[in-house]
Amino acid sequence: MYRTFLLVRSNLRRAKGQTSAIAALLLLAAAMLNMWLMLSMDYKQNFDRCHDRLHAEHVTLVMDGDPDEVRPFLTRTLEEEPRTTEYYMGDCLSIVGSFAYNGGEANTELVILEKEAALSRDIGKVEIVEEGGENSGVYLPILYKTGDIDIGKTIELKIGSNTAKFTICGFFNSVMAGSHNCVLCELLLTQDQYQALEEKGYAPRSTLLSVRIADKSESEDFEAALKSKVTAMFPGARVSSNSYTLVTTSRYISQMICSGIISAMAFIILIIVLVVIASNIVNYIQENMKNLGALKAVGYTSGQLVRSLLLQFLGISLLVAALGIGLSYILFPFLNAMMISQTGIPYGVGFLPLPCLFTLVILGAAVALTVWLASRRIKKIDPILALRQGIQTHNFQKNHVPLEKTGMPLQLALALKSTLSGFRQNVTVCATMLVLSLMVVFSGLMIENMIVDIKPFLYMVVGEIADSCINVNVGVEEDFLQEMAADADVEKIYLYSMMNVRHVGGVELMATLCDDFAKVNNQDVCIEGRFPRYDNEMAIAAKYAREKDLKIGDEITLTVGEREENYLITGFTQMTNNLGKDCLLTREGYEKMGDLQNLSFYINLGEGVDLETFHERVKEQFAGDINATIDIQSIISGTASVYVTLLTVIVCAILLLGVVIIAFVLYLLVRTRLSRKKRDYGILKALGFTTGQLILQTALSFMPAVILSVAVGLAACGLIINPLMALFLSGIGIVKCTFTVPAGFITAAGAGLAALAFGIACLLSLRIRKIQPCVLLAGE
Amino acid sequence: MKKVLLKTESLSKSFSSGGAMQHVLKNIDLELYEGDFTVIMGASGAGKSTLLYALSGMDTPTLGKITFGGQVISDLSPDELAVFRRRHCGFVFQQIYLIDGMSVMDNVLAAGLLVGRDKKVLADRARELFQAVDISPETQRKFPTQISGGEAQRVGIVRGLINSPEILYADEPTGALNSRTGLHVLDTLTAFNQRGQSVVMVTHDMRSARRGSRILYLKDGVILGECNLGKYVAGDAGRHEKLSAFLAEMGW
Amino acid sequence: MNRFSFLICILLTFVLETAVLTAFMGGDSDFRQDTVAVNEILKRVEEDWPCLDRQTSPSVYDYVALDESGAVLWKTTDGLSESINAAIAHRDTILNVEQDGILVGRVIIYNGSEADYRVWKRNLAAVLTAILLIQAGALLGYTAWLHRRLVKPFHKLKSFAQRVAGGNLEVPLEMDRYNLFGAFTESFDLMRSELKKARIAEARANAGKKELVAKLSHDIKTPVASIKAASEVGLALSGSERLRDNYTQIIRKADQINTLITNLFTATLEELQQLSVNPADLDSSVLAELLENADYLHRASFSEIPPCLLHADKLRLQQVLDNIFANSYKYAGTEIVVTAAKENRRLVLTIEDFGGGVPKEELPLLKEKFRRGSNAGDREGAGLGLFISDYFMREMQGELAVENGTGGLRVSVVIPLSGAACVLTEAAELV
Repeated sequence: MYRTFLLVRSNLRRAKGQTSAIAALLLLAAAMLNMWLMLSMDYKQNFDRCHDRLHAEHVTLVMDGDPDEVRPFLTRTLEEEPRTTEYYMGDCLSIVGSFAYNGGEANTELVILEKEAALSRDIGKVEIVEEGGENSGVYLPILYKTGDIDIGKTIELKIGSNTAKFTICGFFNSVMAGSHNCVLCELLLTQDQYQALEEKGYAPRSTLLSVRIADKSESEDFEAALKSKVTAMFPGARVSSNSYTLVTTSRYISQMICSGIISAMAFIILIIVLVVIASNIVNYIQENMKNLGALKAVGYTSGQLVRSLLLQFLGISLLVAALGIGLSYILFPFLNAMMISQTGIPYGVGFLPLPCLFTLVILGAAVALTVWLASRRIKKIDPILALRQGIQTHNFQKNHVPLEKTGMPLQLALALKSTLSGFRQNVTVCATMLVLSLMVVFSGLMIENMIVDIKPFLYMVVGEIADSCINVNVGVEEDFLQEMAADADVEKIYLYSMMNVRHVGGVELMATLCDDFAKVNNQDVCIEGRFPRYDNEMAIAAKYAREKDLKIGDEITLTVGEREENYLITGFTQMTNNLGKDCLLTREGYEKMGDLQNLSFYINLGEGVDLETFHERVKEQFAGDINATIDIQSIISGTASVYVTLLTVIVCAILLLGVVIIAFVLYLLVRTRLSRKKRDYGILKALGFTTGQLILQTALSFMPAVILSVAVGLAACGLIINPLMALFLSGIGIVKCTFTVPAGFITAAGAGLAALAFGIACLLSLRIRKIQPCVLLAGE
Repeated sequence: MKKVLLKTESLSKSFSSGGAMQHVLKNIDLELYEGDFTVIMGASGAGKSTLLYALSGMDTPTLGKITFGGQVISDLSPDELAVFRRRHCGFVFQQIYLIDGMSVMDNVLAAGLLVGRDKKVLADRARELFQAVDISPETQRKFPTQISGGEAQRVGIVRGLINSPEILYADEPTGALNSRTGLHVLDTLTAFNQRGQSVVMVTHDMRSARRGSRILYLKDGVILGECNLGKYVAGDAGRHEKLSAFLAEMGW
Repeated sequence: MNRFSFLICILLTFVLETAVLTAFMGGDSDFRQDTVAVNEILKRVEEDWPCLDRQTSPSVYDYVALDESGAVLWKTTDGLSESINAAIAHRDTILNVEQDGILVGRVIIYNGSEADYRVWKRNLAAVLTAILLIQAGALLGYTAWLHRRLVKPFHKLKSFAQRVAGGNLEVPLEMDRYNLFGAFTESFDLMRSELKKARIAEARANAGKKELVAKLSHDIKTPVASIKAASEVGLALSGSERLRDNYTQIIRKADQINTLITNLFTATLEELQQLSVNPADLDSSVLAELLENADYLHRASFSEIPPCLLHADKLRLQQVLDNIFANSYKYAGTEIVVTAAKENRRLVLTIEDFGGGVPKEELPLLKEKFRRGSNAGDREGAGLGLFISDYFMREMQGELAVENGTGGLRVSVVIPLSGAACVLTEAAELV
């Protein structure tokens, strides 16, 4: 053992620079890996912990209507249902509402509760996280705590079509109804404010039902069944609900994106480190053939030699991994801060032994395997032959780029010669560059489709975007349409209503109705097949279709209330609004099953039309028949800015990481090259090559591999990035991505990458300056 | 009077090893003449190779001045020296130092193309030289590891001469060769010298030294003496006698 | 190419071919009818019924529309089944056209699967041919490769073996790293070189024996040294005068050598031995430093010192310069001009002041022990400075010259260049 240790020490002393570069890469990999493991192993579990602590429900349902009629019915229904374990009903006020948030608007179903009642609910109670001195006002979910929304400040709430102002008393945490991502968003009012609001009658009195069920994986199914029973019984009631599955998914989208990206980066770096370690060892063996032979001759066994390498790299990697884990704990709070604005559930960073252990095991195992595989050659060294021949192997190469025939300039030709003879070096460069080009393409995609212009991303996530959405009662439809058609401000108007339907043998689907799908703005919603055109056709969410094994051309049965109808699937759609439980129907198609009470119209307005005044005007004109007017753009920008910030940070991190990786890998390669070719450099210098020429030659020799792999990598990544993104985002119901790949940006970035590599290689090969032509004096 | 090619004044070279200065060359004043076959002799450690590298601009002297055709080369920067070397100097090394990764032909052309001459002219000259040193076209396509030491050294001479240098510097060209192949290499050098090529050769081998027209004896970094064999034709027995006498005088 | 990469190549080819096949087989095997297109045809026919002339937009399927009586109302192209019976025979799809729930006619969707099948068969043939070609190519390539790597080297080996058998051990066997049995050929060549070595070793052993005999005979000569001792014994014992003279001669000469050696030893012990001077090689730039040190009043102007390597003792040289400058400060007190020039393998450092110098007759005496110039007056001093300086310079193979210059005293310090002394001593030896 001690002997092995001696070997390790001498190896380390000889390759300080290389070891530290490898260590730096390993550090990054370990930090990323641990962060990913923390995110994926614990971060989401935090939700369950919170859920248990607050004894939260699995299905939430809010409905208006007379409590004396509603509640007995609900009690009866729940008692009949065997899956119910507990339930709790309480008073609340519920209506669609909105408030300014994050530069836009948060628009959601508001569930307004009295503070004390909310705190004392048996099931699904809330906990106050922050509280100021005020004793009259509103408590908001912790998610909304931003610069403009803070304790002591005033918030203006749009409740239905009225506006009310409240002082913010504090923030609370509610597991199932704590953000606009959960369909339902609770607000707590102090008793006086609650009573005042109740008397004003801005929002109808409603019932908030929280149900715990035996098996939480059935929550969606339970929700659908309950909701359909309720709507069948009270067709006029406004019913909103959510389920455990929906909330866990929607609150952890950013966690999923982050952990996806971080894991990808962690593995990318890990692969690069492994390639580098492997090539390092192979090099080491080749350079030290004589020494190794001597050691063998002295009596070291191959096993001991391999073990010394193993000990060396494993020791470093475990040590560095421990440091990396430390680093990840430093970085994690930033990540947490970034994501809390999306999850809305406070998370305390604490030491997690399991991810640590996994990080160490993964890194250790990967490094050990690589070292073992790469150092097997040692076994083949025959001490006598090695001593006699040293590195001198029978390398009868091909004469690449004969100088006599080539038309290339001398520098380029010589560079190319060394490129073509350095196979391993090219492999390392290619591997690195391929990985980096994936990173570049990803960043390009993000910048183009999310940061510069977020519309493609929103189209994918939200489905349809227009300027305004106006909900009118069905009675005034014709007048309204006529009026709108005549209105100069209106560019386009089309029916775009959401209704619930149930798939017989499946779950509840959100059906989007349109009179003519050719009119909608986002024609990409339909990712396969086509939009429904006739009354017996429908398009269905691709994710759902995949789950249920439905194909285009199949027929499925939908039902609203009692009526069932068959529909032919003509296309697959993707929208993530409902996390992949959507379908599209024509208006005629829906009307075969149920009647529409009110209609939502999406409206595109002309340039420069003020939405506020337009809405005011329409409201006046059709007073009493307008149920809601929504400013779609501002709602979206509120939500989107969270994502944009998140992605900007991620893209910056990725690009920075890219630069770091290139630098480290090239550092290793150039160092190896310089030490191996020191004699050649000396000869060339003696013959009259200047340092500049040799630097240029060295840097150029990396370029063919760099350029080729960058070009191939960018082209390939450009092709696979959309499917890759789809895979990545499949959790939120995305099956196919149609992001535009920014060819210009990618080409520029590729050129930049190559130029960067060239620059770094030049910089690193400045060491050539120190090589004297008189190293050849060795003979004297 | 022969034309002076290179002139040194107080040429000194010191190395510091472990804090102590070691003076390898001491105030060498020397003139090299066109067409001479100058041989620098001396025991090992006398500073022969150091002198050669200083003369050829491979290394900068610690002190003193070297003038080559009116140009002071002792205070040039490493890069300027590199340019100087490729224009005016040819080298033949003891360890031969061909680049293993290139074919024989490319080894020569890489040096030749550096000066930026026409590729065709250059290739023709290379072939001419190869023929002169008896290297067959097949050998020209081989790699340095595939040819014998004698062949490699003759390739080295071709490489040294490809740019038609004013001076060809040879550092113990036969040091790594056996006597038979060494003789061939010496013959080659002599032949080129007779065609007017100035040669400066470092050696500690008397048989090699016999080829020179002017013998300098170096000891402890000082030129101890000089002996002119120019008046004897090659192969003259007088040449050997004179040299033996000179070397005996020098304490060889 | 080793076995591993060869296996990988085979595996890759296999995977590639399988991939091509599966891609082909799996790609287009869906023979289901496109129900969406069929539904669209039906819906469109129903919409336009009974004036079907507006049915312009083409569909993926060809179809025929019949009214109740079976008369053709519309067909997309000729050659389709135009009656129910023909449709059944051709396995076409027959759909009812309804208007408000009443049957008004039929649409016959043409069954095109026959044509599809033919296309599929043709494609299959093409793909299979391609795969077979790939394999044939790979096989051919492999055979050629085997020939080059296996058969040819064997031929080479054969001629090699013949040469070795014939006694020619000089020509090595060329090795080729691509050679499949490189190690094998290598050991063949090893055998050849070992054989050769054995022969050489045999020859060397023979020569060694002769050498040993010569050495032994030389060693026998050593005892001759005891002759002197023996001659002393001889002297003591000899009776004859002549013999005694001879013995005495031998002994006297031996004594003479002894005396000579003793003299040599004692001669080196000089009286001033404690002031040792150890000259070493010195960069002339050091001189500037020494001068700066000596000129602590900063009265001197220095000329450039020619770069060269001096042979001097740095410490003693500093003492010499200190002394010269101190003298100038003491006796002249004027500006000092220092010039340096290289002269005949020596560096001459001239230090001149403007103090008027000393009387001419005193000049030769200045360097002597305890001598002071007449202008010394009551200035303190022992008159040793220049004497010691002169001694130092001589020890360094240099010189110290004192003369009157144009404005005052001119002291020249002559320092030998490094190497010069060496040449001198060697030359002296030769004489």
